[in-house]
Amino acid sequence: MVKRFFLVLLLSTKTVFAADVELNARQALTKMTNAMRVLNYQGTVAFLRNGKLETMKYFHAAEKGIEQERLLSLNSPLREIIRDADKVSCLFKSTQQAVVDHRPVGHSFLVDVPQDLDELSAVYDFKMAGEEDVAMLPAYVIAIQPKDDFRYVRKIWIEKQQFLPLKVAVYDLSGTVLEQVVFTDLEVKEALPFVEAKFGEATENVKHIHQLQAQASDQAAFVVNNLPSGFEEIFFTRRPIHNSNQPVDHLLLSDGFAAVSVYMENKNTAMQQGLQSVGAVNSFSRTIDDWQLTVMGEVPAKTVKFIAEGIKLRH
Amino acid sequence: MHEDLNQKISQFLDNELSTDETLSLLQKIQQNAELRDKMNRYAAVSHALKTDTFLSPRSDFVERISQEIQHEPVYMLPQHNKFKRSHKISALAASIAIIAVIASQSMDHQTEQYQPSPIEVAQSQLPEQSSDSIVYRDQTRQYPVNTRFNDYLQAHNSSVYTNGEVNFQSFASVTVYNRE
Repeated sequence: MVKRFFLVLLLSTKTVFAADVELNARQALTKMTNAMRVLNYQGTVAFLRNGKLETMKYFHAAEKGIEQERLLSLNSPLREIIRDADKVSCLFKSTQQAVVDHRPVGHSFLVDVPQDLDELSAVYDFKMAGEEDVAMLPAYVIAIQPKDDFRYVRKIWIEKQQFLPLKVAVYDLSGTVLEQVVFTDLEVKEALPFVEAKFGEATENVKHIHQLQAQASDQAAFVVNNLPSGFEEIFFTRRPIHNSNQPVDHLLLSDGFAAVSVYMENKNTAMQQGLQSVGAVNSFSRTIDDWQLTVMGEVPAKTVKFIAEGIKLRH
Repeated sequence: MHEDLNQKISQFLDNELSTDETLSLLQKIQQNAELRDKMNRYAAVSHALKTDTFLSPRSDFVERISQEIQHEPVYMLPQHNKFKRSHKISALAASIAIIAVIASQSMDHQTEQYQPSPIEVAQSQLPEQSSDSIVYRDQTRQYPVNTRFNDYLQAHNSSVYTNGEVNFQSFASVTVYNRE
């Protein structure tokens, strides 16, 4: 009887421990999302994409629920990028040209993790993958493993004390690193100033782009029939994207981590057909009757091809 | 004399002639239309015997070879001379034989539909052009394909701001700037 009691206790402990490991990975991600939002911190961050390295000074200011992200490039082209809520301003130092961009989706240049991780558990596994030091700071390594091959593997290194992300890596299906964002130094401050995006004498050189007006996706000229599980429509717009008045239908899809854009416009525009790849971003273009279709996203090539091949014109 | 030349042509096609003999024969063929015709016939017969397929070569294939050689680009960079003279002759003979076959095939198929080259195949994969093809090309020249791709990338996510690629600077410079 006593033996049986201890056996049940042992099994229960193991079960709780297994659940705890999964919970810790999710907890760490939830804590990270919260820390990213409420803390004031600054450091030097390196973006490695498409074989190119971009190093920037990073500042995050937060006060009373208002946030600001600021990036200063250390290498040419020198520029300052400021994100206030959904507005991203970019000023090029040498030319004094500026771009003001409106982005309702995406809250961080480092990593966007959805608040509700439960919905993602259908398509991703969250696991503690060990502990490592990054920028001389101890960190948890969280592996975000997709349950199918329609999306990439991600790993996030979360600093143990403050739960800020020190490193984010995206891997292809063979385990090769596609993209990395790494802090080389990071410190938390009591407060950091909010900086106004000043364009100085370049006021006449400010370009407002992508003032998004979300529309119902049933207004799109196309219908998406092939959609890997977990992907949902985020928004749809019809607006000029190029340096012309030609409208482009843009449907943004996301599974929480990976985003896929579907673009359709009149085919008098020249696009290279088939698959193209830029770092972690793959795209697939084809024509449907008089329309040029492009599906693009930070997902494997088979995913954009699968989605593109299932798209039909809406009749 | 003729018998001797016939035998030389036969040996040439079988790659059995020495370097000097080959050069001498090619020189004679170049100057003599009758010999060129004979060479064509022998090449066709030789090909038919070896492949069980008869291909009738064009009568002017030697001239065409000569013209092709004259139109070859001149490479100004120093070339490494790795091949022996005998190898060069063998390569020349093989090239002539191949061109003879190709030339004859082109004659056989000259009435067939025009086949595009690989480059043209790649171009034909672009959207089909209708009556406004000139407009289409002009637009392409003014607004490159890569720029369109960058526009899509830019609209897709904000990673373009943190990319160190020069493309983004280009993107900024091609946009139309207006007063807010």
